[in-house]
Amino acid sequence: MLSECFIASTAASGKTPASASLRDVGICVHEFQPTLNLRSTFKKSSTAANCLAVSPSHVFAAQSEKAIVHVYSREKGNQEATVPFPERIRSIALAGGKNGDVVVLGTEGGRLILWETCTGRQIATTASHLRPVTSLVVDPTSNFILSGSSDASIHVWSLVDLLSFTKPPSGRDRQAPNSPIRTFSNHRAAITSIAVGHSAGRYNIAVSIAEDSTAIAWDYRTGRLLRTFLLSANATCLTLDPVDRAFYVGYADGSIQSVDFYKNQSIQHPLHDPSLHSTPVQPSAEDRWAPPSADSGAAHTLTLSYDGMTLLSGHQNGKVLSWNVGRKKYASTVADYTHPITNLIMLPPTGLSSPSRDLTRMSHTIVKPRYDHTLSESSQPAGTVPADYTFGTHLLPATASTSRPNQFTSAFTHAYFPESMLEEGLAELAAFDPGSTPGSSSGITDEEACAKDAQIAQLAGDLAVLQKKASIHATARQATTDEVTQLRADVAHLHDYINELHGKQAQAQREKIRRQARKEARETRRREAWFAAEKKGRKGDAVLTKMDAEDTVMTSDTDDQSSDEQ
Amino acid sequence: MSYMAMSLHAVNHRLTNIPVKQLPPLASCLAASLSNCGELLSTPQSQKSKSDSDNAVQVHKLMTRLASLLQDRSVEGRWTAVVLVKALVEAGQWEVLRGCEPFVRGLIGILNKPDPVSTKKMSIITLTRIFHLTYQYPTLVREITTPSLPGFITAALNLISIKPSSEPTRKLKPNTPFVDIVLNAFAELIARHPTIFRPFTAQIHSVLQAIIGSTEPTYPESVLEIAQQLFVSLHNCAPKNTSGEEWKNACRMTIASIHATSSYVLRAVVEQWESVDPALRQLSMPQNYSQEVGNGPDALGLSSWQGLPAGVSRLVVLLRMLSKYLDTATASTVIIPLGSILDLCARLNMVTYPSDGEIQANQQIGRAEREHLLTELPRIHAACLRLLVDLVKAFGTAVIPVAQTILEQALWVFRAEKFSREVRTAVYDLVRVLLPHMGPCMTKQGVSSLTAVLRTCCHDLLPPPSNQAAATEKPDPKSKSKASQATVNADSFLNPGLKPGRQLSSSPTFANLKQASSELLVAVLSHTSTELITPALRAEIDRTIIITSDKNAMLASVLNPFANMQGRGVGTSIMPFLARSYSTEMEVEALIRPRMPVLMNGPGANGYSVADDDDEEEEETDAVLAPQAPTETSGFLKPSATPSLHQDMMDVEMTSSSSSPSLNKRSYAQETEVQSPARSIATEGAQSKKVRVESEETKAPAQPSLGAASPATFTGTAAISVPASSITATAAPKPVVSTTGPSASSSVTAPQPRAVAAAAETAGDDDSDDEMPTLNIDPDTDDEEEDE
Repeated sequence: MLSECFIASTAASGKTPASASLRDVGICVHEFQPTLNLRSTFKKSSTAANCLAVSPSHVFAAQSEKAIVHVYSREKGNQEATVPFPERIRSIALAGGKNGDVVVLGTEGGRLILWETCTGRQIATTASHLRPVTSLVVDPTSNFILSGSSDASIHVWSLVDLLSFTKPPSGRDRQAPNSPIRTFSNHRAAITSIAVGHSAGRYNIAVSIAEDSTAIAWDYRTGRLLRTFLLSANATCLTLDPVDRAFYVGYADGSIQSVDFYKNQSIQHPLHDPSLHSTPVQPSAEDRWAPPSADSGAAHTLTLSYDGMTLLSGHQNGKVLSWNVGRKKYASTVADYTHPITNLIMLPPTGLSSPSRDLTRMSHTIVKPRYDHTLSESSQPAGTVPADYTFGTHLLPATASTSRPNQFTSAFTHAYFPESMLEEGLAELAAFDPGSTPGSSSGITDEEACAKDAQIAQLAGDLAVLQKKASIHATARQATTDEVTQLRADVAHLHDYINELHGKQAQAQREKIRRQARKEARETRRREAWFAAEKKGRKGDAVLTKMDAEDTVMTSDTDDQSSDEQ
Repeated sequence: MSYMAMSLHAVNHRLTNIPVKQLPPLASCLAASLSNCGELLSTPQSQKSKSDSDNAVQVHKLMTRLASLLQDRSVEGRWTAVVLVKALVEAGQWEVLRGCEPFVRGLIGILNKPDPVSTKKMSIITLTRIFHLTYQYPTLVREITTPSLPGFITAALNLISIKPSSEPTRKLKPNTPFVDIVLNAFAELIARHPTIFRPFTAQIHSVLQAIIGSTEPTYPESVLEIAQQLFVSLHNCAPKNTSGEEWKNACRMTIASIHATSSYVLRAVVEQWESVDPALRQLSMPQNYSQEVGNGPDALGLSSWQGLPAGVSRLVVLLRMLSKYLDTATASTVIIPLGSILDLCARLNMVTYPSDGEIQANQQIGRAEREHLLTELPRIHAACLRLLVDLVKAFGTAVIPVAQTILEQALWVFRAEKFSREVRTAVYDLVRVLLPHMGPCMTKQGVSSLTAVLRTCCHDLLPPPSNQAAATEKPDPKSKSKASQATVNADSFLNPGLKPGRQLSSSPTFANLKQASSELLVAVLSHTSTELITPALRAEIDRTIIITSDKNAMLASVLNPFANMQGRGVGTSIMPFLARSYSTEMEVEALIRPRMPVLMNGPGANGYSVADDDDEEEEETDAVLAPQAPTETSGFLKPSATPSLHQDMMDVEMTSSSSSPSLNKRSYAQETEVQSPARSIATEGAQSKKVRVESEETKAPAQPSLGAASPATFTGTAAISVPASSITATAAPKPVVSTTGPSASSSVTAPQPRAVAAAAETAGDDDSDDEMPTLNIDPDTDDEEEDE
């Protein structure tokens, strides 16, 4: 379920809480939305402002006036360790992105101590601050640490330079190792609080407040001042809008002021307008929101809800007040812990699916700082990672989105089976012949099966060859018989043809004889006629020509007859 | 609900009436209708109303029918049943799961039958899914999973391997199609049911050893990967509270195995590496140099290998396995030996291809083997770099202490072996994942050490040089990259428009390499300080980005503009290219025409409707100003050469000055301002108010220069776009001044007299001066009255 909680820590005071559940309690996890109620508590802690840090697995509380840090396990809900340090701790922050693996501590003596909670490695910086380090923040890229001190200066440290085993090639050789890379010294009095913008880009801003009644927005990547805000009093606490549109400060009288960067509607980004850098701005008194009653005491700490529209403030009298950012006024009292509330941290809401914040690993237990010198630089050749540098963590299962999909996972999460798999199965079913593999595989070991398979394959091969041969023979035989029958048919045909020809020849013979006979008969007749005409004394030739004319008619008739006969 | 009841009825009817042989083609659509009935199937069945009881009967009928189909004599029936059981289980959740015991039995039965491969595969998936879904219900785990899971494991193992009766290990079957699916199923289940898997670990272990250690028939990438993952996951089955120890031992053994293997593989050269771990320094095993390189069974129990190719493959497989240790979920907190892993990588990366001179050769080894080794080196290094990429991904910001060490190793390998495409891709990936963690802190030296990588990266992204250039360069392969680089640059600077058109060549595209390169460019631009990148390199990067039209890289370049040196003129931005290429993309819209990220006032605080109107009109203003937007945004953060007017509206005027026709006047106004000494704070209320009136008049003449074409439109919008300030300004002549005083005070910080001077100058020159103020005042007074 979607819920939003905040963590509040208190400083010990003489008063005793009204409710028994809050006795001895130093740190409270309080559900803010949907319903207000106390979720869990951690006991025996007294923290000053800027001395509480929360990681997904642990709560780190630097004890006021002591050189120890209490570590509470959020999973188990108990105190896991008490870690002593050589100096009093005045501020604490977590580096290392969403996991918060590196605890940064600001000490009374003006140095920083970095403690890798997963490896136990510990690094101390030079005492670059002249006074105690009272406020610490780490930028969203986890590359820079900003430390503010009572000596009015703010140092910017490179986390990479501090932690790295191999010192990067740098032009900063002239400086001592483990010293700040940049100093911001525009404040004139002790730094009270620092807030850093939410951008991971290079134009991220930091806002700092100091006891000189100013708030300064500046660019920590270059150290350039962007804007000075002249506040009406010394601000005690500070928080920045989630979109970096405004910041909110709390005052000692319990009132809150909002300072809107976008008051002036310009085309350029108001903070990055170079013309305005040297001009201090005085936020109007109208933006100062009065507390509900005068007895609430100083606002020690501020935090904003996830949507940035509700501001929570922790006060000296132990009350947590909520303010409506839109209406610019007090809304309600959220909780009362009796003791002065020194730190309020809004936890990211649970139940929102935000892949960027999903943890890939988790450290259930911390590794206390190790003081043996195997991990310090001196005993190792420069720039090498010692072999016993080990990292204790619990690797969590990757979310589905990160792992690459394959056939199994896509089928696994599908409502039934992916279409491709079903089609493959259908194709296989269509080709699958249940008769070919009888259910005999159960009793046979696989070597035998393999051997049999091989044998079967060989036999099948042989069979195929034989079948092929047989079929070749068959076709050959078929071809010869076909040929023979064809030949026989041809012979018969020829016989018929010969007979026919013989018949024709005989007929032609007969015809010839008949025509011969007819011709002879006609000759005879003509001769007889000529002789007869000669006998009668007439000219035989004339008779002949007359007869010829008759004959042509006759012969044409007979020719016609003979042609018909043939 | 009635639709669901009906479709459930229809499914039942078809299941019972259609001959089993004809069911498979229908299975898909039956399963689809079942999965649509999810709501009905998962509602608890109470017998109260008639429709409810009818539904319950239908559900029961369906489940009985499916159970019997699972036992069906025909293959088709069983196949259909498996498909439908998966759909039913997914849709019905707990209501179906509690009665799915017969399904589980039937499905396991199918694994032992001579069914088609697909039926068995789907049975394994369905069973895994059932066990997966029951995990959240302890009673169901007790009733269903615990009794049947061992049977499933045995059946699945039988599919891929043979168990000789006497030994606790198994022998892998050759060529079985099930390896992939079975290993995936085990990997899915092993972390949740470690105690049930515990008796089988030895058997699974032996199968995995065979797969991972197999050198002769090598398995496909996907199978190897899942086998390695399962191998790592076996630590889940360790007895109570020893899983972390088990994991650590396995990891250490893998590292030791890699060391041993590389001692053999790298024997042709003399290694310069000295371990940081004293225990490893004495690790010099006597080797028989006369024999072919090879190794017996190693620490992990993998089989022996012979010959250099097999050795290199084994090394690569082991390196991949080591990275699996870093991205597989563990059972509890484990101690990752970060120091040892980096030591190992240092050893492997130390031996590189000799760029100059001769490598330190081991004289006892022949030249052939050494040359063979040198050609295989990029493969080893690519695997090694991949391991480092996985390491950085797994550790995230916790990698900071070792980030510099890793980067130096990567650059070392890159210098020697940038000819290899795999190495280049891996180096790009590694630098890309490292940059978010260390880029912002990088110094000039750090960034310049990346120069070679970035140049090669640009070269990889660009289309290949034209044939002519390639021809001239070919004879000299060694200096090719650099020389052709130079020619490309010269050409493209001379005629940038000509090249891309002709170069749609059909040369092979290396998608991985291209992707890695373009992502690297994005990372470099967004995570390193742009002023540390040399202008020449930046120009090359921008050119590459423009030619490849990579949207993300373009955005990164625009968002991190080149920081120009002092006195070197205006900084350049490739924003016009972005606007031309991707004008419809939302990111581009947000970049070019930003909606002001102002805190919205709540209803009633300051008049909700008014604020709303303002917002809309602001967008209109943006639209009007659109042509000028690029110059405005590219001028973002730019230290301008001329000091600007300290007045709200003056920003608009300044940015417009480049395009305005009255350029001379503007600059003159600014010059006059330069001359006048800066008076920082105007505290005198009355005086400043008076001044504001005058400065408002200054604005009026200025506006025509902005909206030269349509002055009326512009003045209207401009007046509204600056509600807060203009209210006070125009209100000045009216008696309501006093009420707006406080809200005005924030903006009254400018040294006004200079603006007056400017006003005097411009008023004298400008013709449209007399009518503009009236246009301007009207909307403002309206606003004023609404506020009252």
